[in-house]
Amino acid sequence: MSDSHFTPNRERDRRPIRFLVFGLITVLVFGLLTTRLAYLQINSGPQLAAKAEAQRTAQVALPAPRGLIYDRKGRLLVQNVATWAVKVTPADLPYSDRDAVAHRLASMLGMDASEILTTLDSAPGSRFDPVRIAQDVPQETARLVAESSDALPGVEVVVETRREYPDGPLLAHILGYTGPIDEGTYTRLRSQGYLADDLIGKTGVESTFESELRGTYGLELVAKDATGKSGDVLSNVQDAVPGASLTLTIDRTIQREATQALKWGMKAAGLKRGVFIVMNPQTGEVLALVSLPSYDNNLFARGISNKAFAKLLNDKNKPLTNHAVQAHYPPGSTYKLVAGTGGLQDKKITPSTLIRTRPYLKLAGAKFWDWNRRGFGMCNINCGFGNSSDTFFYQVAGMLGADRLAYWGHMFGFGQRTGIDLPGEAAGIVPSNQWKVDTFGQPMFGGEVYQSGIGQGYDVVTPIQLIDAYAALANGGKLFRPQLVREVVGPDGKVIKQFKPDLIRKLPVSQSTLRTMRLAARATVTLRHTYNLVDMPVKVAGKSGTAEFGTRDAKGRLPFHSWFVGFVPKNPYKADFTKTDSPLVFLAFAYDSRTIGNAGTEIAKAFIQLHFHIKKDYLNRDLLKRGNHYQSN
Amino acid sequence: MRVMRAEPGRFADMTTRSVGRVGRAYDLQLTVYAALLAAFGIVMAYTNSVEAGTAALANGSILQRALMWTGIAMVVFIAMTAFDYRWFKTLAWPIYFVNVGLLVLTLAIGDGVGGSARWVSIGPIQFQFSELAKILMIIVLATYLGNREGRLDSLGSILGACLLMIPPWGLVMMQPDLGTSLVLLSILAGMLFMSGASLRWLLAMALGVCLAIPVAWQFVLRDYQKDRILSFLNPAVDTQGAGWQVHQAQMTVGSGGPLGVGLTNGAATRGGFLPVQESDFVFAVLAQELGFLGALVVFILFMALLWRILSCAWRSRDPFGTLFGAGLASMILIQVFVNIGMVIGILPVTGIPLPFITHGGASLISLAIGLGVIQSINLRQHRAVW
Repeated sequence: MSDSHFTPNRERDRRPIRFLVFGLITVLVFGLLTTRLAYLQINSGPQLAAKAEAQRTAQVALPAPRGLIYDRKGRLLVQNVATWAVKVTPADLPYSDRDAVAHRLASMLGMDASEILTTLDSAPGSRFDPVRIAQDVPQETARLVAESSDALPGVEVVVETRREYPDGPLLAHILGYTGPIDEGTYTRLRSQGYLADDLIGKTGVESTFESELRGTYGLELVAKDATGKSGDVLSNVQDAVPGASLTLTIDRTIQREATQALKWGMKAAGLKRGVFIVMNPQTGEVLALVSLPSYDNNLFARGISNKAFAKLLNDKNKPLTNHAVQAHYPPGSTYKLVAGTGGLQDKKITPSTLIRTRPYLKLAGAKFWDWNRRGFGMCNINCGFGNSSDTFFYQVAGMLGADRLAYWGHMFGFGQRTGIDLPGEAAGIVPSNQWKVDTFGQPMFGGEVYQSGIGQGYDVVTPIQLIDAYAALANGGKLFRPQLVREVVGPDGKVIKQFKPDLIRKLPVSQSTLRTMRLAARATVTLRHTYNLVDMPVKVAGKSGTAEFGTRDAKGRLPFHSWFVGFVPKNPYKADFTKTDSPLVFLAFAYDSRTIGNAGTEIAKAFIQLHFHIKKDYLNRDLLKRGNHYQSN
Repeated sequence: MRVMRAEPGRFADMTTRSVGRVGRAYDLQLTVYAALLAAFGIVMAYTNSVEAGTAALANGSILQRALMWTGIAMVVFIAMTAFDYRWFKTLAWPIYFVNVGLLVLTLAIGDGVGGSARWVSIGPIQFQFSELAKILMIIVLATYLGNREGRLDSLGSILGACLLMIPPWGLVMMQPDLGTSLVLLSILAGMLFMSGASLRWLLAMALGVCLAIPVAWQFVLRDYQKDRILSFLNPAVDTQGAGWQVHQAQMTVGSGGPLGVGLTNGAATRGGFLPVQESDFVFAVLAQELGFLGALVVFILFMALLWRILSCAWRSRDPFGTLFGAGLASMILIQVFVNIGMVIGILPVTGIPLPFITHGGASLISLAIGLGVIQSINLRQHRAVW
């Protein structure tokens, strides 16, 4: 070795300090590592251990069985059935695999890949919340998906319960349905324990009584591995408490009778929409509530496809709208109840006051015709209401003036929601001077007051408001909130809540006035304004109505809706309408009927025949033919 | 290294010295520390085997492989101790070319994850030549710099060393293996620093490297490597990708606490969340199961081992010995720092094994070579000062 160890050179002189520096760096490095390790293990150890624990376990909500729904006779209207659902947890689905997984899943489920991706993107909740891709998957498909789980990261097959509505369209507008929670609702309700992939009542009593039906979800602690798959249940944190059940006021038999009668009438008269409601005027309980066309709420409970949903949404006759509650229409002559009662109670007329009816009244150069273009001569309220004379009620309305007429409209519950246990109720319109000024900037004209007196012009009402007003007439002046639910029954069978008749107001009308109006309503039948209704063994008092709307056809005729609203005494075979004991009020509404006769009346008669088991057929099929020749007001 | 000379040297030294002198020159402490660290490695192999769900000694288990490689490493260590290290100085050039050749071979026929070429499969055994490249480059650089003793202050020496490093470094980068290339650069820097080269030139070079970083970012680094660095700088961005590992490793380490959860008990807590727990993240498992105390023992062993290597380098009157010790110490220090720093979340994720503890044959063999050479140097010095 020629290298000299003893020859001084600069680099050799530097080495001691370099060794020192290297040593210092070593000590520094290990000091840094030790400090950080002490921080992690001793200072943050417990928190990090808790985080690791939280990561390998998951608190999984345990859905509570949803409460059931019965009709007033205890017949089951809703079932919970177990089904397979396919869910995807976005956090467990690597972004690079998204499209491939969506396509694979789509082909298995017979869906569109784009539909799956849209569902994933629009899901409420975080990336760690599972998103329901398909409900009610056939068992074969469910098994196929479950077996391909290696090729479908983040996808899981779970058993869920969904609602099954055995009667489908018959009760769809009353029961509504459950469906996946939407983002806004989830944000609002997550603090109450709702899950991002939860099912929630969307409409009908499923929606209004959601909190009662839902119950309380339980919670269990489940082991989880890195792939996010849940494993063994470690412990039960909280038991699920089943939801409460509902007993409806609806009688399914009466609902069927009403539906059958309305369907018959709509078919015979070629109608596109119709409503039939049956109520107990003594309590405000709704016994039947039919709005046609209806829809199958099972479609929604099973998870409706976008296409089927779009079809229902775009249907001209709005099957998803409950026309009994969520839509308002001009009431026509049925509204004469308001003008008549108001005129009597405000002492503008007495029961015996005679008013000259004419072919038409002239006001400010315009002619206001009676419906028969002849008039009925000198008429008291019995004759005027019984024959439904327009010129009679033009004059009564004129005596009352716009504001008193509106006052009585409001007293009968028009222009405000009844508060029935269904979502999306419409309010209707009762025109007053103030309303006209607010809406159009000027007070009511005299002619508009005339129109308003016979339920035309600006007046619009919901069918439920109209039947509720006649229920108040039948029961002696008590305006009840229409109710759909009698009782809420806990999972243990105990009644949690019983619904009593809910009085909105006592009408500020004397019993004698109401009796006069009831007798006038009976006169409608006895004067044969409603044809052979009087011949039926069941004694009915009521009022028909024909309400023009829209635009005139080539012959100058307007399309019209027809109404009939009536009630029977406690003993339906004895025509005593002085009493206030009626147990049954019913309403028929035929949208855009254009029939020769009043379609509403015929539908009501069909219902009476079914409900009272009348063998003889009183139906006038001729009157249901199309043709705008006759207008019964 | 300009002139290759056969150096029969003092081949007779060993025979002329008494056994007692040989015994005193042999650094028993160094061997003990290394053996204890290797024992930690075997213990971790055991716990990882059990947690992987295989019988500890089943065919192909992690433990079985670890024991096999430890056995081979012991043989290599003894052989290197016996071998007169001075022959390396003679064989430096062939070693250099074999090294480059092996790296080229790796690129040509090597396997790896996702299109990379990291290891060569020989039968059932996979061997990572880039691990071997570290120790071989220490030998080559120690020879080169040692031969330039007296001229190390010049820029020429620094540039020469860099030129020697560029081909293997470039080949490792092409695999691509950012971690090993970083270790190679650290070895170079450590050896130049310890050689006593001019600090001014070294700083100038360091500055040059810093300036090269943007260029490297643009043209050299792969996307996954950039992701790792970015996710380290901003871990909140991505808890599922590269940042996920760091996050999981810290939770694993933290859940160990001061005394640890005990061997083979960690898996219940990790639940498979910690990726590559038997290789690059093995320290997380160690810290979890043996606790802060166990990790501290490992740190102390590493420091003691480094101390013994540096004292060998210090004592060596042959500049090769000094420089070889410096290179080996640099290699071990940077690997420990980067690996553990990554696990405990103070450095970005790079695939650098933890010496002795990470289960990898090549890593253990190159350590055995390095420590054997250190003992060989110890045995073949005339003690002048102490």
